[in-house]
Order: sequence, then structure tokens, then C-alpha cells
Amino acid sequence: MYRLIFKRVLLGLVILWAVSVVVFLATQALPGDAARAILGRDATPERLAALQAQLHTGDPMLVQYGKWLAGTLTFDLGASLANGLPVGQYLAPRVSNSLVLMMIAAVIATPVALAVGAWSALRRDRAVDHATSLITLVLAALPEFVVGIILVLIFATGWLHVLPAVFAAGEGAVWQYPAQLVLPTLTLVLAVSPYIVRMMRAAMVEVLESEYVQQARLKGLPERTVIWRHAVPNAIGPVAQVIALQLAWLAGGVVVIEFLFRYPGIGLALMDAIGNRDLPVIQALSLLIAGLYIVVNLLADIIGLAANPKVRTAAR
Amino acid sequence: MTETATVPTPAPGTPATGAGRREGLLRAALRLRRTRAGLVLTALVLGVALLGPLLAPHSPTEFVAAPFSGPADGMPFGSDQLGRDVLSRFLHGGLTVLGLAAAATAIGVGFGALLGVVAGYRRGVLDEIVMRTGDVVLAFPQLVAALLFLSIIGPKLWLLVLVVGVSHVPRTARVVREATLKVVEQDFVKAAEAIGVRRAKIMAGELLPNVSSALAVELGLRLTYSIGLVAGLGFLGLGLQPPTADWGLMINENRIAVTVQAWAVALPVSAVALLTVGTNLITDGLARASIGIDRGVRS
Amino acid sequence: MRRSLPDSESPSASRGSRVTRRSLLRLTAAGAVTIGAGAALAACGSSADPSGAPAGGGNPKRGGRLRVGLVGGSAKDTLNAHSPVNHPDQARIINLYEGLASFDENYQVRMALAESIEPNKEATEWTVRLRDGLEFHDGKTITADDVAFTFRRITDPKDPQAHAAALATLDRDAIKVMDERTVRLVFKEPYGELLDEIAELANGIVPEGYDPKKPVGSGPFKLQSFTPGEQSVFVRHPNYWREGEPYLDELVVIDMPEDTARVNALLGGQVDAIDQLPLGQIKVIQANPNLKVLESQTGGWLPFTMRVDRPPFDDVRVRQAFRLIVDREEMVRQVLAGHGTVGNDLYGRFDPNYARELPQRKQDIAQAKALLKQAGKENLTVELVTGPIATGVVEAAQVFAQQAKAAGVTVNVRKVPEGEFFGDNYLKWDFAQDFWITRNFLPQVANGTEPGAPYNETHWADKEFLELVREARRTLDPAKRAELVKAAQKIEYERGGYIIWGFPNQVDAHGTKIQGIISNKTGLPLNAYGFRKVWMA
Repeated sequence: MYRLIFKRVLLGLVILWAVSVVVFLATQALPGDAARAILGRDATPERLAALQAQLHTGDPMLVQYGKWLAGTLTFDLGASLANGLPVGQYLAPRVSNSLVLMMIAAVIATPVALAVGAWSALRRDRAVDHATSLITLVLAALPEFVVGIILVLIFATGWLHVLPAVFAAGEGAVWQYPAQLVLPTLTLVLAVSPYIVRMMRAAMVEVLESEYVQQARLKGLPERTVIWRHAVPNAIGPVAQVIALQLAWLAGGVVVIEFLFRYPGIGLALMDAIGNRDLPVIQALSLLIAGLYIVVNLLADIIGLAANPKVRTAAR
Repeated sequence: MTETATVPTPAPGTPATGAGRREGLLRAALRLRRTRAGLVLTALVLGVALLGPLLAPHSPTEFVAAPFSGPADGMPFGSDQLGRDVLSRFLHGGLTVLGLAAAATAIGVGFGALLGVVAGYRRGVLDEIVMRTGDVVLAFPQLVAALLFLSIIGPKLWLLVLVVGVSHVPRTARVVREATLKVVEQDFVKAAEAIGVRRAKIMAGELLPNVSSALAVELGLRLTYSIGLVAGLGFLGLGLQPPTADWGLMINENRIAVTVQAWAVALPVSAVALLTVGTNLITDGLARASIGIDRGVRS
Repeated sequence: MRRSLPDSESPSASRGSRVTRRSLLRLTAAGAVTIGAGAALAACGSSADPSGAPAGGGNPKRGGRLRVGLVGGSAKDTLNAHSPVNHPDQARIINLYEGLASFDENYQVRMALAESIEPNKEATEWTVRLRDGLEFHDGKTITADDVAFTFRRITDPKDPQAHAAALATLDRDAIKVMDERTVRLVFKEPYGELLDEIAELANGIVPEGYDPKKPVGSGPFKLQSFTPGEQSVFVRHPNYWREGEPYLDELVVIDMPEDTARVNALLGGQVDAIDQLPLGQIKVIQANPNLKVLESQTGGWLPFTMRVDRPPFDDVRVRQAFRLIVDREEMVRQVLAGHGTVGNDLYGRFDPNYARELPQRKQDIAQAKALLKQAGKENLTVELVTGPIATGVVEAAQVFAQQAKAAGVTVNVRKVPEGEFFGDNYLKWDFAQDFWITRNFLPQVANGTEPGAPYNETHWADKEFLELVREARRTLDPAKRAELVKAAQKIEYERGGYIIWGFPNQVDAHGTKIQGIISNKTGLPLNAYGFRKVWMA
């Protein structure tokens, strides 16, 4: 199994490298002088020269890529064209803001979704189960910005006026503004939960039907003990991979949510950078989001391998 | 959207003729209430999108009132940010979302199915290349990939269809490949090979029909995601451009005044919501039906 | 100096700064070399300051803390007195530093630190006399040396500041300190409109040896703290020269690039005033008894720009037809929700010589069609390049496209990102849009409508027009000059490359508790950030 994990990690690294090539090609290898296109009418000779040096546009493509990759690997991501700050310094607080949002969403969504899924399984084929099934199916279908706007219409602007529609915090850390965090967090929770609920329900149904649980029941153990000691722990294993996959999804999903709620994280930074044609920031963020996505997916794979005895033994 | 399928993955089929099997799948799916509900919702939104332009009281670009006016006579949902009739723009704005989403889905599922069948059947180096390339595409969340290309090259419609479509390819290819792998081992494929049927013919005539239920589910799923992505990119301002009436763009343009004139946002948002829910219900129905069929066949 | 905020759909703190920097340059880049005794000169000798009187009802009260949320702002925020980048920068430097003169709310030049600024007969030498007893924030007396230092700093060839180009003809080495309070600015060429230039906000007087990192100024407020991209805090300058002002103890300027966020902050009481109220939100503010909308007529304009040297607009009949296609009333109604004034294809609306006598142009589709037919351009298809460069620009493009249909003209709106709009093709687009702020006729010509002007977006080079403009600049007699200026405007009106459909109002909002903020024609928000006059009821 360790060999399998090692192989996966290696594959992850290769993919990450391939992703860097794609990002580079998509952004920098465009026809024409990238520096001139970026600066536009601000293209004074000095600024042009400075940017060309930063982007290495004078060099052959392969050398350009090499220099860019070297810079990226040493966390020297260049300077933002919009504000002149080093990209790392500019993005650091935004990355941490996004992580805060994702963490809160994950910490809330996971247990709630597991509980709902388990509960739904225990009430199998009753009204509650059907309702849960339908609601999760609906939520799973809705694009996350649609969920967000519906929440805004309900809680902030249209009907109830109880929560702020956008994040407009002043100074200090984002968690000092809990009321403003509610809607973005809730949107993310609603976006990731349905899958976890459905997987948990399916896993629980399977476990509850298993001989193992039947035996525990026959032994005369109290139902509570059967569920909490025997059923739930065994069901969570297979679901773990789905949870990890959902967390990976968050890396990309925050973009729209942050744009919708004006939350100062990587998503909003990406949209800003796109508006400004701020190439170094676009490169850094695409790479970062893809990297995060790969890493969490890798974790999901590993968890899946560890949790699933069938996969554990299956050769690939 | 997520990689995890909402729907149970259907088991691959047992030998059957394509047409007969698909008919069975549809009929089985239609027996489920959710499929019927999904069809009604989808038909409703489709009706609005297709017939809307004929029913709209005004032209989508004509000015009928002051910007962000509330509902009034002849203008049941008020006016938008330029004083155009929200209802008329809503009725005109569905075709683009649907058209682009359908095109992207066709590209994505079409190429995905092709690559999946070929990779699953031929295996070897080809399989490895296809799947590893797919892994690279999969490393980008779909929306981020689309943003990357649209922001650099510009919000062109062909590009939008292409990036959304391409982002579906590896996802579909994976599913179809898995399904193909299980069919390839069946006797009838071996038999066909033994009598020297050409590979292309085996793939088209034997393999494809037998992964069709997996493909049908995949098609529904990808369509649901395509609608969300196309509308989402419009919402981010990277989809259709003004003055086109388009649901995603409408949400983007009128979001600023959602406190004053909620209809201009609420209508397109509801339509996108109903549409995605509808297609997802159908997909779920298909998926359940295909499991049922497979179980039925097996037993 | 930009009058408007980024389009709501395009999020950005930093993008705002880009527009602003460009418009600042544009505001000042032309070395407007003009002679003459315009209305501005009349203000010269006066040392009275009518704008010093507090506005609003009741007597001003001392004390209190004002928090303002302003559009724009980014990590690149600066306190440099002479190179503001975005709106918050402008607000900061207006309140930190004071100039020799400034524009009042009616776009008239008023003396500030200077008691008088007087030209010699040729307007090549200008003598500045400072008021008595002026003090910097650190208690040092403001002297003629500081004035000389300031202008040398602005025009330093090694580190040119925003107004370096506008002051390009200043002879740096010939600046002469006459005595403690008197300094003479010497120009290589006549500079008749120097006062219009001096009154610009990025010409604040700073002490000798000034360093933006330790921003000692002469303005009503001194700096307490500054976090780029977030906020800055100021406290009252106790020795400010205007009697009683400022009234506030503390001023907080908060960066709020996002429309919705800014409005919500005002609604939620996180700030007391905001600039650039989105038009869609006016009703929301009006419905709130504790809030007030502050609306100002301005001389800013959002033209369509037709290149007069490229087909189809090289044919004057096509330009005339396009001007007749526009329903200006509808433009103002739909694009600005009525918050603006109809335009007549002429800029410089607050210029005393504005050609008011020319009849208001109205939509005339029949005539437009006839003109297009004569030009052989029936069923014309054109591409209109637009972008989120200022509020109302993309909207105006859509309204125009709709209006043009009636004349059989197909206008394909091509919306490009701001970066692309101002990119390689800026000033080269055949048919595009732009935005300008309040300015008088001749300075505007120097900026946008003559060969060599930094932003000649229509490629205007009409010989007759240019001759009149040159003549006007040489003419000292006000009546004769007015005649020439009006004649030039008539040419612009008849065959120019702009479609000037209207002048948008500046719309801001504040709490009713806030007194002393009044309408202002300069196009700068919140009474040109004149917070020294603000007090809390």
C-alpha cells in the first residue's frame, strides 16, 4: 500500500509540474509582447523594460519558462502589476482569509452532513429520508452562486433584513466580523454538504444491513450503542474520501462565493487580477488553486486507499 | 462543481442491442416520480427559453421606464439597470445559456466518450497518455480553468464553449473507460474480435451501445454542470457581453440594485435553479433506473 | 479626479487607481501655454475667502470624528502630496496639504495659502505672496523657500510628479525668493492660465526637505496613522490658518472600492459619508431618514469618440448623422437615471465663454438618415468599443446601440476589460468612449483636441479651429478672446469628433448628522473632500 501511496504522490508532483506548464503557456506564451499588452498606455520605455525583465520576455520560451519556474519554486513570484507589491506579500493575507472561510465551512459542514446522512439512513424510506434525499438532490444541482444569491435575497435584501449582503469589514482579522461571515460560510456549507449527506446515508444503509450490525443487535446491545459504537464508525470510513474531495472542491468553489460576497480572499484577488490583467497574480493564483486541489485530492486518494479494503488490495 | 457524482454510478451493461436497451432505460426512468418531476421542470424552463422570445411584450433592448423601476402596468417585473423590461429580457435570455451549455456538453461528453472507449479498449500506452493528460486537466477546478483562459484570451463564446467542454472531457472519459473495461471482458466482444471485426467497428457497434446507460447519466450530469458553469461565468462578467439578454449577465448587471429591484435578479436566478434541478432529477432517475435494469438483468 | 467608480461588475481596488492615475495625468499633462486675462485672473488679488464660511444650517460645533468610505484605494495608496493615484489618495492630500490656491465649489479659483498671485504683463513671471503667520503641522513657519522647494520638487526631472508636464515651462533655476513671504515663478513662455493649474489639488505646499514617509503638511488635518489599502486616520491641525477650521477632532478615510460594500457600510453606520453612490441605490438612501443624498452638477462628460481621420467618420456627414441619432434626454434618463444634464456636443460647460447661444441639438432620425444617404453610408455597421472605465460608459454604449437602430445603423458593442481599453489601441479606436472631468475650454483643447495633445482621441486637427485657438491664446482682451473661443466652439459643434450627450452629476451620500458638506462643481466628491468645513450636529 505504501508503494501505491508513493506512486500517487509522485504522480501528483508530475501533474503539478504539468499544470505549471499549462499556466505558463496560457498566460505568458501568447503571441505578441506580453509586457506591452499588460502595460498598455502606461508603457513608458522604463516601465516596459522593467516588466520585460520581470517576465523575461526577451529570452527564448524555454528559458522564460525555466526562469519563471525557478522563481515560483523559490517563492519569488514577482511583483503584482497592479500594486507593485511582491505577489507573495500581497496574497498572504488573502490566502489566510480564504483558508479561514474554508475551514469554518468544513468544520460546520462535515459533522452536520454526517449526522444528517446517518439520521436519514436510520429513518430509511420514511418521510424524513425522502425529504433529505430530495433536498440534497436539489442543492447538489444548484450552482453555488445561485445558492448564494437566493440566501442573499432571503436573509439580507429581499425578505428578512437580518444579515449583511456583502463582506465589508474594516481593519483586523476576518473572524472579528462573525455576522458578515454567516452568508458566505452558509453558502459553502450548502454547496459541499449534499454529497457528504448522500454518501453517508448510503454507507450507513449498507453498514446497518451488514451481518456485523445484525449480530450486535442480536447480542442485545442497546440500539444507541449499536449505532454509535458499531454502525457510525464503520460508515465514516468510506465517506472520508468524499469529504476530502469536497474540501478539494472548496479551493475552486470559493472564487464565485468570494466574488459574490466581496470576501477578501484568493477568489476575489483572482477576479481583481483578471480585471487588471495582473499576470503574475493570475499565474500565482491559478497555480496555487490547482496545487491545493491536487494536494487535497491526493489526500482523498490516500484516505480512500486506507479506508477501502477492496481498493487496498486491488492492484492498479 | 464537484467531482463526486451525485448519482450512483450505473454498473456497465450486459450484452444488449443499443436501441432496445436505451428504450428500456428511459421507460424505467420514467416510472420514477423524480424523473417525471425533472422532466416537467426542464420542459418548463426550456419552454420559457425557446418560446420566450415570441411571447416577450417588448424588445429586450428597448427602454420602457426609468432604470430599476418597480413593477407597473405592462411591466410586471419592473425594469433593469437601463430601464429595459425585465420580463422581456428574461424571456429572451434563456436561449444563450441553454445553447452554450448544450454545445459544451456535446463537446465534452462526445470527446470524453470517444476517448474513454478507445482508452478502455486499447489500453496500454494510449490509455496511459489519455488518462494522465486527463489528470492534468482535472487538476484545475472547472471554473478556475475557464477563468484562466477567458481572462487571457478574452470572453469569446467559442472559447467559453471550448473550455467548459474540455473540462468535461477527462471526467466523462474516466467514467466511460471504467464502463468499457468491464464490457471488454465479455464474451461477445471476444467473439467479435475472433471473427476479425475491425476495431473501430467493435468500439462503435459493440462497446458504445453497452456503455450507453453510463453515458446517459454522464450526459445529464455534465449538462447540469455546464448550465451552472455557463451561467456562473456570465455572472462573473466573462460570459455573454452587453447588450445581449442573458440570464447570467442579467444577474451580474442588476446585482447592485437587488435591494431596490429584486426581480431583475430573482427571475434569472430562479430559472437557472429550476433548470439545473430539473436536469439533475432526470439524471438521478436515469441512474437509478439503470441500476434497477442491471440488477434485473443479472438476477 | 475621476468622477466615477469602476463598473460594479468588475471588482477591483487597484483598477480604480489605474483610471485615476491616467486621468490625473490627463488633467495635467498638457503644458497649457495660454495668455490672457480669463475669469480666473480676476480672482487674483482677492485675499478674501468667501468659501471659508461654513455651509449648512446652524453654527458649526467643534469636535467629533468623521469616517468616510471612498471608492478605490489599494495597496499602492500614497501620501505623496504631488502624486495622488486614487480617490482616497486625493482625499488624504487635500486634507493633509494645502495649496497656494484652490477651486471653490463653483469651480472658481480662490486664494488659499497665497494672499495673491499676480502675473507680469506677458504672464511669464508670476509673483506669489504668502499669507502671514502660516504654520506647518510641525510648527515651522511656511516661507517662500518652502514654495520654491515645492515647485522644484514637482518638476524635478529625476522624479517628476503628477503636474510636472503641466509645469514643463517653469524655469526651475529662475525661481526667485524675494523675501520671507514672496516668491517669483518664472516661465519660459507666457502662462496665462497658471491659476487654473496652481489650484489643482496635487500642488500642495510642503516644507523644505519634505519626505512623504513623514508627511508634514500645511492642511487642516495632520496624519496619525496610515495603512495602505485599508484606512488612514487624521487629527485636527490646531494652528490651521482658517479661523475656527477644522471643526472635527478626527478624520478617518477608509478605502472601499466595492459599491455594495460602501453603501452597506453607510447603511450600517460603519461610516458617516461615502462618495460615488451607485445610481441604483439612490432610492435606498432617500428612504432612510438618517441619510442624505448629496448631488452636484459637474462639468464632467462621457463622450463617444469618433476618429475624424478614419472611415466612416472621416466623412463629416457621418459624424453629423451620429450626433443626430442620439436622443440626449433618453441618454440622461436611462444611463444616469436622470441625474445629469443634457449636453450639446461641447465641453467646458462652466467656462464663462461656453457657447450657450448654439441651439440645443436634438434627435433627428430623418435628417441623420438623409446625411448617411448623402455620404453613401446607408445601413452602416460600426463597432463601438466600450469598457468599464467609468460609471455609465458601458450603459451609454448600449443605449446608443439601441437608438442607432432607428437610423438603420447597426452598432456592435464590443466590451473590453479596462486594461485592454487603455491598452495598445487606446487613442486608436475608431469609435469608442471616454470620460473627462470639469475643465474650461482652452485647457481642455490642450488636453484632448489638438495635435500634440496627450489624449487627442478623435485625431482632431481642424486647421480653422486650431487657428482660432492659437489666436485666442495670444489674445489678452477678454471680449475679443471670448469671440474667438466661441467661434472655435462653433466649429466643434458643427464638425467635431465627439458626441457629448450629457454631463453626469456627482452623487454622494452622508448621514444627516454631518453638516457642512455642500454641492461642488469640480467633479470631486463630497465637496471636493472639503472636510475642514464639516461638523457634526
